[in-house]
Amino acid sequence: MRPILAVLLLSSVAAVGSVLEAQEGARTGAAPDMAARKGGASSAVAGPPTLSPAAGFETLVKPFLAENCYGCHGNKKHKKDLNFEAFESVDSLTTDGDRWDDVVQKLRHREMPPEDEPQPAEHDRQAVASWLARELARIDNATPPDPGRITAHRLNRTEYDNTIKELLGVDAHPADDFPQDDAGYGFDNIADVLSLSPVLMEKYVSAGERVARMALFGAPPLKPTLTRLRSDGRRVREVRSVPDTYDVTGLSMPNAFHAIHRVAVDGDYVIKVGLSGQRPAGSSPVAVTLWVDERQVASIVHDPERAATFADDRQDFGGQTTEFKIKLTAGDHWISVAVPRIFEGLPARFGGPNPSTRPEPEPKPFKPRPGATPEQIAQQRKTYEATQAELEKLPLNGVRVSAVDVGGPYSQPAGPSRASLQKIYTCGHLVEGAHTPMCATRIMTDLTRRAFRRPVSTAEVQKYVSLVRLAEEQEHSLAEGLAVGIQALLVSPDFLFRIEQDRPAVAGRTTSPITQHELATRLSYFIWASMPDEQLRRAADTGTLRNPGVLAAQVRRMLRDPRAHALAENFGGQWLQFRALESTTRDRERFPDFEDYLRLSMRRETELFVDHIVRDDRSILDFIDGRYSYLNERLARHYGVPGVTGPEFRRVDLSATPRSGVLTQGSVLTVSSYATRTSPVLRGKWVLDNLLNSPPPPPPPDVPNLDEASIGTAMSMREQLEAHRKDPICASCHRRMDPLGFGLENFDAVGAWRSFDGKFPIDATGTLPDGDSFTGPVELAAILKEGREPFARAITSKLMTYALGRGLERYDTKTVKGIASRLPARDYRFSALVLEIVNSLPFQSRRAAPTGAATP
Amino acid sequence: MIVTRRHMPRRTFLKGMGTVIALPMLDAMTPAFARAADVAKPAVRLAFTYVPNGITMNQWTPAATGAGFEYTRVMKPLEPFREQTLVLSGLGHRNGAALGDGPGDHARAAASYLTGVHPRKTAGADIQNGISVDQVAAQQVGKHTRFGSLELGCDDSRTIGNCDSGYSCAYTNSLAWRGPATPMPPETNPRLVFERLFGDIDTSITPETRARRLRYRRSILDLVGERTTRLAADLGTSDRRKLDEYLSSIREIERRIEMAEQDFTGLTPAIDKPTGVPVEYADYVKLMFDLQLIAFQTDSTRVATMMMGREGSMRTYPEIGVPDPHHPLTHHRGNPEWIEKVTTVNTMHMQLFAGFIGKLKETPDGDGSLLDHSIVVYGSGLSDGNRHLHEDLPVLVVGGGGGFRGNNHIVYPKDTPMTNLYLTLLDRMGVPSEQLGDSTGRIEHLTEVG
Repeated sequence: MRPILAVLLLSSVAAVGSVLEAQEGARTGAAPDMAARKGGASSAVAGPPTLSPAAGFETLVKPFLAENCYGCHGNKKHKKDLNFEAFESVDSLTTDGDRWDDVVQKLRHREMPPEDEPQPAEHDRQAVASWLARELARIDNATPPDPGRITAHRLNRTEYDNTIKELLGVDAHPADDFPQDDAGYGFDNIADVLSLSPVLMEKYVSAGERVARMALFGAPPLKPTLTRLRSDGRRVREVRSVPDTYDVTGLSMPNAFHAIHRVAVDGDYVIKVGLSGQRPAGSSPVAVTLWVDERQVASIVHDPERAATFADDRQDFGGQTTEFKIKLTAGDHWISVAVPRIFEGLPARFGGPNPSTRPEPEPKPFKPRPGATPEQIAQQRKTYEATQAELEKLPLNGVRVSAVDVGGPYSQPAGPSRASLQKIYTCGHLVEGAHTPMCATRIMTDLTRRAFRRPVSTAEVQKYVSLVRLAEEQEHSLAEGLAVGIQALLVSPDFLFRIEQDRPAVAGRTTSPITQHELATRLSYFIWASMPDEQLRRAADTGTLRNPGVLAAQVRRMLRDPRAHALAENFGGQWLQFRALESTTRDRERFPDFEDYLRLSMRRETELFVDHIVRDDRSILDFIDGRYSYLNERLARHYGVPGVTGPEFRRVDLSATPRSGVLTQGSVLTVSSYATRTSPVLRGKWVLDNLLNSPPPPPPPDVPNLDEASIGTAMSMREQLEAHRKDPICASCHRRMDPLGFGLENFDAVGAWRSFDGKFPIDATGTLPDGDSFTGPVELAAILKEGREPFARAITSKLMTYALGRGLERYDTKTVKGIASRLPARDYRFSALVLEIVNSLPFQSRRAAPTGAATP
Repeated sequence: MIVTRRHMPRRTFLKGMGTVIALPMLDAMTPAFARAADVAKPAVRLAFTYVPNGITMNQWTPAATGAGFEYTRVMKPLEPFREQTLVLSGLGHRNGAALGDGPGDHARAAASYLTGVHPRKTAGADIQNGISVDQVAAQQVGKHTRFGSLELGCDDSRTIGNCDSGYSCAYTNSLAWRGPATPMPPETNPRLVFERLFGDIDTSITPETRARRLRYRRSILDLVGERTTRLAADLGTSDRRKLDEYLSSIREIERRIEMAEQDFTGLTPAIDKPTGVPVEYADYVKLMFDLQLIAFQTDSTRVATMMMGREGSMRTYPEIGVPDPHHPLTHHRGNPEWIEKVTTVNTMHMQLFAGFIGKLKETPDGDGSLLDHSIVVYGSGLSDGNRHLHEDLPVLVVGGGGGFRGNNHIVYPKDTPMTNLYLTLLDRMGVPSEQLGDSTGRIEHLTEVG
């Protein structure tokens, strides 16, 4: 590891991160060196690395505690039940590791001693924290492995929807109606955090009924409704002369409208488009095009009759509408409506392409109203002249889409889908009346096994079968009976929770492997955010999933499967935080370009980028310095990359540009900025949080803020921040954060390239705490890549948190470190990282129940 | 009125007078349960409205105490309801403070707001808060209505990552806590609130079919309830906790089914079913308030919490000239322009709240208006958002449901627990409780002439 990153990591916050560094520090000797170098040498404090644990505790820790902590946490007073004087020897590090972990955190955060108490010297504080962290890590290494224990895991919204789809072939997103899932450790699939409120249970019960009936009888006929799509931030900048080139599709102009719309059921829909704006009189009619999921599906010439009878002096589109009738499938659709070739068909005098052949109306001469007084005539003339002047200034690109409503569904297909019937009627009969008495049992057995993701006993299934029979008798229909049975499965705790059984310790071991089915379930929710499919289940059924080669082959297959897109969307969306784009706002005055098309395109870019790394098994280092990305015309124009036309995304080589990796993608640059400006601090923190897993401590509440108004006018951002860092309290963290952000200053708050911020030229140089300096994003990426191990550990920690659905603990440190160290030999391939996690102790096993615990 | 520590407790005072006549003036001694038992009286509704990131306090706290004080800029929109408004100063949440847990004041502000408990600092592994005052009330008064309580919010965006300095998002997302580890996340989609309240009734089926399906639901709940009990016996503590949540939720639904079998034809909501989340914030908030109003009006619930914004909210308000996100603005460090913007946001929130109060007042209920029979608390878990202060919090109690006397600004001794107010409110709801979070007793003077 390069020393620069050791320093960046030195005062980390995250438990895992800090222990990691400390271990690393121990190996390279970097931590004490750095402490000595930055804090001024103090022989008693920095100490030779060879100091024995007992001696270190006596000569370093105890005196520090006595001086700074015993007052409140000693024999006399023991606030928070903490008495350091009771920790007599170094052995307490073994017996009370958690408490000591907490001490390390408190010292590093400078949370203790409290601010109104005398403070120890900063280098003493850090040195004690580092020594403790190192000792704790050493002890961890010597203790028996602990795989942790994952609490019964309620399906989150995404997992519920995906599972319903896999189980019953119903793609209806019932979880849209569920309350938001809470997040923890940066992800929304953390078992401990996923609680179950009565509101959610209510939703489970009604969704269970609805889904079961949809699977068996088809979607209920929905009443057509009209939904107004949401779109914001579009402002058309008026153009009065025809430009040389422009986006002829119109999609990337603010005249167009873009929104993601979720369609409940397959069917015919009407897209109602409201127009506004004006066009010079005599222009040919405009067309309006409809695009669904980046493809043009229809184009309508907007009412030529009406265009011809527009008021004489201009064509006014205000209040005009046009309609498209199209088929849509259930699910999310990216719906765009654009005005293409907006500079064509204008009167010839504007010199645009394909000019209008219509005559331009003669300008109306001024005609005073008869009988007007001279004063009135003067007034009328004034009005007339104002109108003429306004006409002169009429923009050429005024026509725009101002509102889009989706109406429907009309002519919805009736009856259940084939996919659903096949998943349910496993006894082979698809027609009512042709079932044998055994069918109910057979069907429910198969469904129960799949829904519960494990083998089930006859007795267990029988309870559900009885329910089926009960309803079947009442309703005189097996299908009606099954509807009730399936509803029961869908609200059962065995379906709603992923429950793993504790197993007693065998032969003194502290871990026990999870079952084949539990493993299959962990795998499928990790990679697909869904239940195991047939292949995975079969491997578990036959007990071969752990066989050499089988597990790796399954993982590789799963990563190539389209369902692995869940990793890009859920893991990527939360790790890189591009999910936050949904709710990101920008000051419209300063960033008129930040409209929904750009927002959606940014999200799509990063999603496709992550998806590519996952499914095409690229190196994870591409996240840092991949010199390619996925762009459409809108983004390419935004980035200033030539030669990309049309709305579809494609891989674009970026080696001739200053962009490399996720750090220079619009999504990341935007979510790490404020609504009104960039923030090197936020961006620096983003890098530390997400790429180095070493978040800086939060600022104290009343820290001096930047003088917003003067940025770009009186002082440059850099000067502002440098003034800020004069304050020693601020400096300790900001010298880690700010330089990273400075390297990205050439990108504005929506990720567009800039050379100036206000009147100040951008200075994208930065000097990292160890003295390494760089200029601009590419060199910054190179430095990050050179010190690749911290990044490898960061992504390992993040992906492992996501994979396990729990926060990482001290005992996971060894696993994370081990995985990261083996990645170079496998070229950092994404599949290698996934396989390492899948094969790791915490993924494969579970803490054994204490001996004597009840056997399930 | 300024209440100082030297102020003689009323109880002592009255004892000294040797009189019984003044007894009804004593808040704490009012036999609240007797009032609740009196069926002729209209039900009292309890509502909490939360605004995030504190308030510009020098534009909030009235200069004068007692009656007839001058309304400050932020409070001004509420002035028409002066006679039914109490302004309380001095109340605080000491458990919102760090207490050795370091940063995370926004998470603690939200989590402690209705619980008075110091939330455990965790990103998720062992979430622990306390039961919130609304849920204490809901457990009792909720028995009379179809819904124990209603939780509403006006942030329809998902939270990403840790919400505040190592605190799980659960702490900032929910004000209401059913138990120490069970937050009640707010519903943020007006359509879903409507459907929950008034059903998404499938008109294609007959009432008989509907009744049969309800019976199946019951059988299903019996089956899974029994299964859960057996399952819980096999599992470890944290798993059991999850299943307990599941079981208690099931019981709640069973009760709902029973009530659904009764006749609820009297329910005719006065508004059309919303189609989704309105684009403009003001429209969004108004709609959520309207839904709360009709929930009270139809007596679907008597307890509601409403979060006008999540603590740490980054919402921008370009429509009122504040294009900057709310939270960073509140760290203004004295910059007058920023303070002005924060105050503008504070005032807008109050305008929206006053609109709700106005509607409560216009809505007839029994022998008076809904406002006459409601206790509506408005406030924030931070006073000064710039410095993250948890003391002298902004709080208003509006409405006649508590039998309090409005038109009064009362200043309590600094650090009087907010939960003391809550205990007093619980008395008025007919749910007297011994303790809530850090409470040390009731607060007094709410029924006195200012």
